[in-house]
Formats: sequence, C-alpha cells, structure tokens
Amino acid sequence: MSLVGTLLALLLLPFLLIGIVQRTRSWWAGRRGPGLWQSAFDVQRLLRKQSVYSTTTTPLFRIAPWVFLASAVGSALLTPVLGLPPVLSFPFDFVWFLYAFGLGRVAIMLAALDTGSSFEGMGAAREGLFASLLEPVWFAAFGALFCLTDATSLAELLPAPITGLPAATVVAAVALALLVAVQVESARVPVDDPATHLELTMIHEVQVLDHSGPDLAAIQIGSALKLFIGASLLVALLHPCPAAPAPWPQLVAAGMLIGVAVLIGTIESLVARLQLRMVPWYIGAALLLGTVGLLATAWRGEGGR
Amino acid sequence: MHEFLFAALVLAIGAVAALLLPGNRTRGWIALTTQGIAAVAVWVTIAPVLAGGAPWTATLPWAAPIGDVPLRIDGLGAFFLAWSLPMTWLGTLYAQGYLGAGLRAGRNGGPHYALLNLTALSFVIVYSVQNALAFLLGWEIAAVAAWLLVIWDYGNQKVRFAGFNYLVSTQVGLFVLVAAFMLLHGRTGAMDFAAFGTFLQQPDPQRSTIFLLLGVAFALKAAFFPFHTWLPRAHAAAPAHVSALMSGVIHKAGLFGFLRFALLLGPPEEWMGWTVLLFGALSAFAGVLYTVAQRDLKRLLGYSSTENVGIAAMGFGVGCLGWTWQQPAMMTLGFGAGLLHLFHHAVFKCLLFYAAGAIHRAVHTVDIERLGGLARVLPYTATWFLVGAVAIAGLPPLNGFVGEFLLFQGLFTGGVAGGEPRIALVAMACVLAFVGGVGALAMTRAFGLTFLGVARQRLPAPPGDAPASMAWPMALHAVAAVGLGLVPSAGLWLIGGALQSFPGARVDTVATALTPATWLGRGLAVVLLLFGVLAWWRGRARRRSPTWGCGYNAVSVRMQYTGASFAEHFGRLFAAFLTTRRREQLPTAVFPSASGRLQTQPVDAVEQRIFEVLGRGDAMVTDVAERVPERPRLAFLAGLLVLLLLGAWLLGGLGR
Repeated sequence: MSLVGTLLALLLLPFLLIGIVQRTRSWWAGRRGPGLWQSAFDVQRLLRKQSVYSTTTTPLFRIAPWVFLASAVGSALLTPVLGLPPVLSFPFDFVWFLYAFGLGRVAIMLAALDTGSSFEGMGAAREGLFASLLEPVWFAAFGALFCLTDATSLAELLPAPITGLPAATVVAAVALALLVAVQVESARVPVDDPATHLELTMIHEVQVLDHSGPDLAAIQIGSALKLFIGASLLVALLHPCPAAPAPWPQLVAAGMLIGVAVLIGTIESLVARLQLRMVPWYIGAALLLGTVGLLATAWRGEGGR
Repeated sequence: MHEFLFAALVLAIGAVAALLLPGNRTRGWIALTTQGIAAVAVWVTIAPVLAGGAPWTATLPWAAPIGDVPLRIDGLGAFFLAWSLPMTWLGTLYAQGYLGAGLRAGRNGGPHYALLNLTALSFVIVYSVQNALAFLLGWEIAAVAAWLLVIWDYGNQKVRFAGFNYLVSTQVGLFVLVAAFMLLHGRTGAMDFAAFGTFLQQPDPQRSTIFLLLGVAFALKAAFFPFHTWLPRAHAAAPAHVSALMSGVIHKAGLFGFLRFALLLGPPEEWMGWTVLLFGALSAFAGVLYTVAQRDLKRLLGYSSTENVGIAAMGFGVGCLGWTWQQPAMMTLGFGAGLLHLFHHAVFKCLLFYAAGAIHRAVHTVDIERLGGLARVLPYTATWFLVGAVAIAGLPPLNGFVGEFLLFQGLFTGGVAGGEPRIALVAMACVLAFVGGVGALAMTRAFGLTFLGVARQRLPAPPGDAPASMAWPMALHAVAAVGLGLVPSAGLWLIGGALQSFPGARVDTVATALTPATWLGRGLAVVLLLFGVLAWWRGRARRRSPTWGCGYNAVSVRMQYTGASFAEHFGRLFAAFLTTRRREQLPTAVFPSASGRLQTQPVDAVEQRIFEVLGRGDAMVTDVAERVPERPRLAFLAGLLVLLLLGAWLLGGLGR
C-alpha cells in the first residue's frame, strides 16, 4: 500500500511542486500565472513531438537524457517521500544517492559538449564546477546527521531527533545546508535562473538547448524529480511527527512540501540571482554551515553516548 | 624445478632471446610467449593461495652476500602477482601495434621487449622474496627498466630530461628505503623480513623512524603528492603502454611495500593511521585538482594516478585506525577499499592510457586544445575511453564506484568513539566526495573535448581506428572495468587472501557491505542498456540540423569551448595548486604594427613553488605580511570564520 503511495507520489508530485513554485512566483509578481499542472502538460506535448538532432552529435547525445532520467529515478527510489518509507533502503544508500546524481550530471555535461556549441560547453563547465563544490556539502550534512543518529540509511537518518540545544543547532545548520544544495542541484535562483532570457548566464538550461521532443521531456521529468527529491529530503529532516498514526505524517508532510515549494518560489521572487563568480562563495557558505553542524556533534563523545 | 622459479627463468631467457634474435616480429613473439608462459606458471603457483590455501614457501640458494633467499607468497603477494603479469602481457601486446610504425622503419625493438620481460621479472621477485637485499634487487630492476622504457624516443631532448628526472626521483626513494633497511639490519643483524617483523612488533623508539622512512620511500614510488613531480613529465614522454604499465602496475609496488611492512609492523600506533589517512587525502585532493587544468591528455592521466593512489592510501589509513582501535569491521572495510581500489585503478588506468596511445597513433598529438570530434573517426577507442572515464570518475555501476563506496563505509563506521575522531573521519569523507566530484568534472572534460564536438585545429586524417593488437587490450580492460563493477565478488575473491592476512579481518564483511548497492547497480545497468538500445534505434532516422548557435549562424570550430576555457573558473578558485606559465607578447600602441602572441601552459605547482621559494622566499613572506593590514576585510572575515567554527565546537562540547 505504502509502496503504491510512494510510487504515485514520485510520478505526480514533481510536476505539482513545480506548479506551486511557479504559482508563488506569479503571485509575488502580481500575475495569475499558469495552471498548477502546466509543466506536466508541457512534458506531454514534448513526448508527442519528434526529436531533431544536431549534425555534430554522436549517439551519446541521444542516450544522455535517458541516463539522466534513469539516475534521477534511481535516486528517487531511495528518498523517503511524503512521510512514507522509501521504495529501497540499505546501509549507506545516501552514497549511492549522490553518486547516481553524479552519473546523471556527467551524462548531461557530455551531451552538452557533444553539440560543439560554446554556450553549452560553458554550461557544462559551470555545472561541473558547482556540483563538485557541492559534494562536500552533501556529505557534511549527511555526516552530521550520521554523528547525531548513528544511522546509515536515508530512511533512518531523517528525521533527526532534537534532544537539546546542540542537536537543534545541528538540525538547523543541516537544513540550511540542504536548502542550498537543493537550489544548486535543481538549478534554482539564486544559483541559476531557469527563466532567464540570456544563454550566457545560464547553467542548466543552456546545456539542454539542443535537446528537443521526447529527449527534452526526459530531461524535464528528471529535473522536476530532482527538485522534488530535494524538497522531500528537507521535509523528512524537519518532520515533527514521523511516528504518529497513519494519515497524520502524510498530511503533515504534504503541508510541509507545499511550504518548501512556497519558500523556494518566494526566494526566487525576492532575491536576484548571484553573479556567477559569487556562486562558489554561496556554496562555501553552505559548506561552512555543514561544518558547523558537524562540529556541533562533538558532545556525542565518551560522555554523551 | 618449481613452476614459480620456472616462470622467473623463462622471463630471463625471453629477455636475452629478445635481445639476441633478429627481426622485430620474432622478438615480439618471444616476449609475448615467454611472458604468457610465465603468467600461467605464476597462476599455477598462486591459485591455491588465492583459493584460501596456505602460503607457498621455498628457499632459493644464492651466492655469498645475500645467502639463502626465503620465498613466500601469501595472500598479499598472490593478489599482486595475479594481475601484474597478465596486465604486463597485455601491455606487451599493445606495444606491437603502438610501436609498429617505428619498428617497421627499422628501429630495433629487442631492448624494449627485453625490458618489458625484465619488468615482469621484477614483479616475480618483489612480490615473493622475503629478503631485503633480494627485494632491493627486484625494486631496482623495476626502476631502471621503467627508466629505459620511458626514453624509447631518446632522440628528443625533452624525453631524455623526463627520463632522468624520473631516474633521480626513484633513486632518492631508493636511498630512503636503503636507510630504513640499514636501520632494521642494524637492530636485528639479519636481512630477512621475518626477523624484521619480530623486531618491529616490539615497542621501540626506532619503530616510528622506520615507519616514516618506509612511508616516504613507498610514497615516492607510488607518486604521492608532494613526491609526484617526476610523474607528469615521465607519463607525457613515455610510450602509451609504458605509461599505462608504470601508472597501473609498476608503481603499485609502492603500495605493496606499504602493506607488506604494515603486516610486519603489527597493530600500528594511532598517529600512524591518521598520518596515512591525511597523507592519502592530501594526495587525492591535490592530484585531482591538477587533472582539471591539464592540456596534455597523458599528463592529465598521470596526475590522476596521484589522486587514485591517494584514495587507496585513505583506505589503508582507515584500516590502520580500525586496527589500532580494534574495530574489525572498520579495519576490513578500510583495507578492503584500498586493495580493491588499487586493483580497479590498474584496470581503468591502463585502459585510458591505451586509448590515449590510440589517439596519438591516429592524429600524432594528445593536446586537448587541438583535438575534438574523434568519436566519429575512432568510434571504438571512444567507446573504450568512455568506459574508462566513467569508471575512473567513480560512478555507478562501473568498478570505480566499488572502492569508493567501501571507503565511505569505512569512514562512517558506527563503532568509533563519538566526538572529534568521528568528526575528523566524516571530514575526510567530505574530502573524498570533493575528489569524486572533481574527478568526474576532469574526466568529462577530457572525454568531451577530445572525442565530442569538432576538431579545434586541422588534424591529420587518421589511418583508421586502432589495429587489433591495440584494440584487444583496450577491449579486455573495458570488459574488466564493467564486469568488476557488476560482479564485485570477482575482485573480492582476488583480495580475499590479502585481506585475511590482517588479523581479525573478515571478507564477508565487505561482501555484505557491497550486496545491496551491487544489485541496484545491476538494475541501473540493465535500464541504461535498455535506454541506450532504444535511443539508438529510435534516433537513427530522425531529422538533423546544425547545432543551435543562439541566433548566430557563422559559427566556426575555433569558437568551441576549449580545455582552457572549461577549466578557467575552476583554475581561478584553486590558483594555489593550478599554476600556469604564460608566455605573452601583447600588441602595443593603438595601431599595433606586429601581431601579438599568448601561450599558456599548466605547470606543476610543487616544482614551481620550490623554485619560487628558493629564488625569493624571504620576499614572499614580506609580501604576505605587508598585504594583511592592507585588507582588513579579509582578516575580519577569517576571524569571523574561526569564531563561528569554534563556537559550534564549544556548543557541541557543552552537551557532554
């Protein structure tokens, strides 16, 4: 039952989440905005179209979007969503989770280089740089939770029990670090602007300029899924009542998910995107937060066990 | 005569025959046949040991200064022998195609094949003898043979320089190793490893000194940062198969030496484990940074050796700490990760060097700034290189992921006392994660700029993809990289004996740790294969159009992103490690009469800094001291940072 629920949530909610973010942005801008399911309709339309391939490209270009989608699905299966247990869970699944992200990223970067376009190469270089700076942030965040809970799988790491001021510090620092990580991984403002009009300033969108039709749909589904996974991690980390009787954890998680989407949309509306040369410092701040969280677990020494 | 001694004899005879017999074809066949026979004979000896049997022992009577040489192949030696000889054989096979043009032009290939045989002989010696003098003999054969192999193209002054640079470095390492052996000999009066072991397991103040001396000697051999300066030159200068064998196989002897003496040393002290871990992390960090900015593909791959031996050493560090703290699971995971990673590194690094050699054969350059679009002219080489690149980036489901996954498990061990040690281990995991991310970036850059897009300069028309003698070694290594990722138990079987030499280590700990991720990896592999076939089939007859130029339709190949532009932002962030030499002659005046020139070349930071410090060290200190008061914001920021981190730590400490 819960398995069906998780799979349904993974199938439908990513589009809804993007819809809520878009709606929040429209609301801040004083517009009505598109419908909540607009991104799902877009994907449906793309799936009916035909792909056009650049004359420069190799078969790698045709495979890459699907590798990206497969890796996003692989990560999604390990994520606890909507207060439900994840589809798969094993010790150190978070390592697999992050490395699967890496595989998808490499596929997209290679496809971008395959076109021979300087814009897309530019996007690939940025994506690789920011993602590699982000890796330690992820591990510092999960490592701090590991030091706090002694657990080693995503399902057990989240939510972390808040037992006192140091533990609260850890959770707060990790939550902020994860928020930055989500913004970088799913290419949101202030790191990247999915709606900018200038290719020179983009990161994720510029890499997929040459994809079209079903291939582009695969990339959009994958991106939506990545945003949803990230938001779900945040929700699972901060969930106040994961052990309550049946419908309550799910309802609370759904409410929190909407909250995270509204938060992301609000940040996008109120903050300008950073200059590209400032993005490493933004990620550095997240690493600092992760380190703070990690150091704040020092109390779990000989006395604290 | 026993098969094992027979193997050594056959290799020696093969070397002499390759020197004396006429005809390059005959010489090549002699080397291949003798190495093949030797590899089979060695496998006959080690197969029972690998299957879990008792170590194989024998005594070799020798002349006066050395005396009887005890031979002993335990799990550790068997593991190294198991792949060293077959990989050397593949390298020799590759040499037939790679050197083909030179050999056909009348160059005598005899010495080269003889040296390859001697390299295989040195493995037989180093991985089996239990006598320090015989060990040094094998060690020197490997070093000198590698030097002579590197300078194949000795007519080129740069190649000779690179060769001598390597020779000097490796001899410095030898001095340190001899010093350690002399200390041991002085205390024990013997040259046998068994006697060394009895002495080393006692508490003695010289134990630490000997540990450090051995560490430096083995680190020089395996090209750890900051002892790696010979490596980029040597790898760029050597023929591709020599680079492959040096990086993948020969220099693994350094890691073997470390493990051999770690076993003799017994339970290490805590600082030793931390030293190895930190040193490995530093090496992995620095090595991977270098790989991002290189423009010579072989130099890039050389630096990535420094990264990967660093990762293996991190595993050994974790293993040593687990040994000290009596945490068998941590010890097993650490040493298991290190052993598996060094083997996997040999598999994909040889593959990548072979592919680089195929590129060099086809277009006579491995300069990333000039290459591009080779996937269309060298489709097979491109495929094999892609497999190697994904594997070396540590991505699932290929074999590079296995070792790193185990290492993460070792670093995040639940049994460790909470508090600072655990925080330090998690911090090391963050370093490893960074190394993984940057490695993926560097390998994407290397593959993408070389094989995808369009050539950045006019390249000579290649004579077709690699010939069979070069293609087969690549294909076999690629199959191994995929196979060892999907069936890691195969690699586990090889390291099983070596792992169980460490008291308390259990192979099934590693097997259990790997099982779920392996199944997920297999699932991913099936899905990827399915998607690949579908996308291939679906996309064959689709519409084609030029790449979208963002509205600009006069694009030229020179406008593609280059290797330098790809690494530019990264290079600015890590300028301390990525030094660049600029040679520029910029146009002057408003209407310049002469055209300008700008050339950039990444140079090794350690080498550069040594010269800088020697040249103007005092001035540099003054510079820094003067600059700090000028930039109060920087000092303020640093102070704030320290305060924040100290505050978090104190807050964490309050809970005790």
